[in-house]
Amino acid sequence: MTTVMNVTRYHLVDRITVVALPWCILAAAFALDVVILVSAAATPGTPHPVGGIASIFVFVFAAGLATANRSLPFGLALGVSRRSYYLGTILLGVILAAADGLALAGLQAVERSTDGWGISMHFFQVPYILSGPWYLTWLTSSVVLGLLFVYGAWFGLVFRRWNLIGLAVFGTVQAAVVTAGALAVTWNHAWTSVGHFFTTLSAAGLTGVLAAVAIGLAAGGFAMIRRATV
Amino acid sequence: MTPTISVAGLTRRYRGQVALDDVTFDIEGPSITGLLGRNGMGKTTLMRIIAAQEFPTAGLVRVLGASPAENDAILRRMVFVREDQAFPDLKVGQILQVASWFHPNWSGELAEALLADFGLPLNRKVKKLSRGMRSAVGIIIGLAARAEVTLFDEPYAGLDAEARQVFYDRLLADYAEHPRTVLLSTHLIDEAAGLLERVVVMDRGRVMLDAAADDIRGSAVTVSGPAAAVTEFTAGRVIWDRRMIGGQESVVVAGAMDGPDRARARELGLSLAPLSLQQLVVHAAGRGPADLRERTSA
Amino acid sequence: MLDDGAPIFSQVADRLAEEIAEGALAEGDRVPSSNELAAFYRINPATAAKGINVLADDGLLEKHRGIGMFVAAGARERLLGARRRRFAERYVMPLVAEASRLGIDADDLVALIRESSHAQGVSTL
Repeated sequence: MTTVMNVTRYHLVDRITVVALPWCILAAAFALDVVILVSAAATPGTPHPVGGIASIFVFVFAAGLATANRSLPFGLALGVSRRSYYLGTILLGVILAAADGLALAGLQAVERSTDGWGISMHFFQVPYILSGPWYLTWLTSSVVLGLLFVYGAWFGLVFRRWNLIGLAVFGTVQAAVVTAGALAVTWNHAWTSVGHFFTTLSAAGLTGVLAAVAIGLAAGGFAMIRRATV
Repeated sequence: MTPTISVAGLTRRYRGQVALDDVTFDIEGPSITGLLGRNGMGKTTLMRIIAAQEFPTAGLVRVLGASPAENDAILRRMVFVREDQAFPDLKVGQILQVASWFHPNWSGELAEALLADFGLPLNRKVKKLSRGMRSAVGIIIGLAARAEVTLFDEPYAGLDAEARQVFYDRLLADYAEHPRTVLLSTHLIDEAAGLLERVVVMDRGRVMLDAAADDIRGSAVTVSGPAAAVTEFTAGRVIWDRRMIGGQESVVVAGAMDGPDRARARELGLSLAPLSLQQLVVHAAGRGPADLRERTSA
Repeated sequence: MLDDGAPIFSQVADRLAEEIAEGALAEGDRVPSSNELAAFYRINPATAAKGINVLADDGLLEKHRGIGMFVAAGARERLLGARRRRFAERYVMPLVAEASRLGIDADDLVALIRESSHAQGVSTL
């Protein structure tokens, strides 16, 4: 069992936070959406998309943040390099993303075969992104979950190094970068090109783009941990 | 032979403060070395850098022949127990289990015995334990790991004298069976004095003394009695400290006392008390290494 | 137990020498191992080993491979001889100094010695 895998094992000892909690949150969101839909007495037969599935994605981001931050002091105390600790944490994210993605794809299949749980609710089907075959749903949701976990981990490391102020600055800088990008696009009247790019991009293509982004975020997190002290 | 721990020109500056100033020494193993000095004098910073938890501003660290920073192969052979270690939200048993994965020499047997010695409950979350019990968890990890290079930085916060003695006894017993290189940082010097083969004394980020414990033992004496007799007896000797009250005087003198010295002291009605290791270290920290090595010919 | 006055290893050596001189450790007896001494005195095993080696180097202890250290033949005699030589310095000198401080003259001193030896059941004095 290599050092990296042992770090992943270490994270999995506290299974509740990392494995069970996201699903509890999702179950709660699911129940809530069912209640809302039923009490709204929606017309049967037509698909009713609801947004509750976003909860698990948000929570995986939080899990990434919490894991990278809280478990770091003891992690380094175990006598591992920061590189190994980081890789072990990312590996955790990848495993969780793949497993959770598969579960989401499975639930989507059940949803389809029961006509939206008998009430035409599209909880696990999301237009454009999660609307294709099960393997594409698996791939896309895994990549997005992985991306969010890694992104959260990066935030967690920033918090550890520079505390709340650093976190605020970090968030602000990113918002500024995105805003600047949007301004640049507007300046160049390039919104139609951007729109064109996205509409011609299939769900699979988008998944590829997101995977590249995830790798970029992972590199950012790694740069952050290299000089971290506990 | 390559020293087990080698530190050269190590300096650590931050926010305008100098925590370590050109620290240089070697430690050969197996041995138990004491890193001594008052709090805030650089001991913790030094140990954190050796354990690669912090980075130096300048200088070199070598452990087992290589730099430990970001070096899994070396880090695996080390264990660092620090004061007030932060633990994740796990139970005692889980923490020890995790620690066992990362230390190739881990002894489950020893861990069990130590759990009983300290009376730790396996199923309680570490965060819910008292400060002393948390320290005990750290100590158990440090000892059961049987790491080739074992670093203890004042690991006994919250432990009473009896529990500390358990720590010293278990350390000695396991060290006798499984020798390793131990660096123990402490300000409770007299308690640990018997364990130490070597002492490195730090003050204000500098090494003030680096010597074998036995070499400095007995190297200074407190002479007390009637002022006139004390003055006569201590004439021509190096004096470190002098205190007077009424007609009595108490003088700390560098140098060992031999048989004739003792006899003369008795004649003059003076009492001689050798300085304890703790007292010697206090003096060393305030002075320089040269003072401590001055001896009258024995 | 041990004090701060002298290196620990030499105190360990001195104590072992005492035990041999007093006959508590007879010739041919096994001497405690360095680990046993370390545990007893709560000191570093290397220090204990150093103390044993002082006596071994002096020929007072001999090593039996695989079993341990044993008191060598003639060790007691040699130690008693050294103690006799130190007797004057260690016991007679302070005795004389104290007696003089207290104003006890030579005759009184001899009388005191006789009294004490009688009380202790010693016949030679």
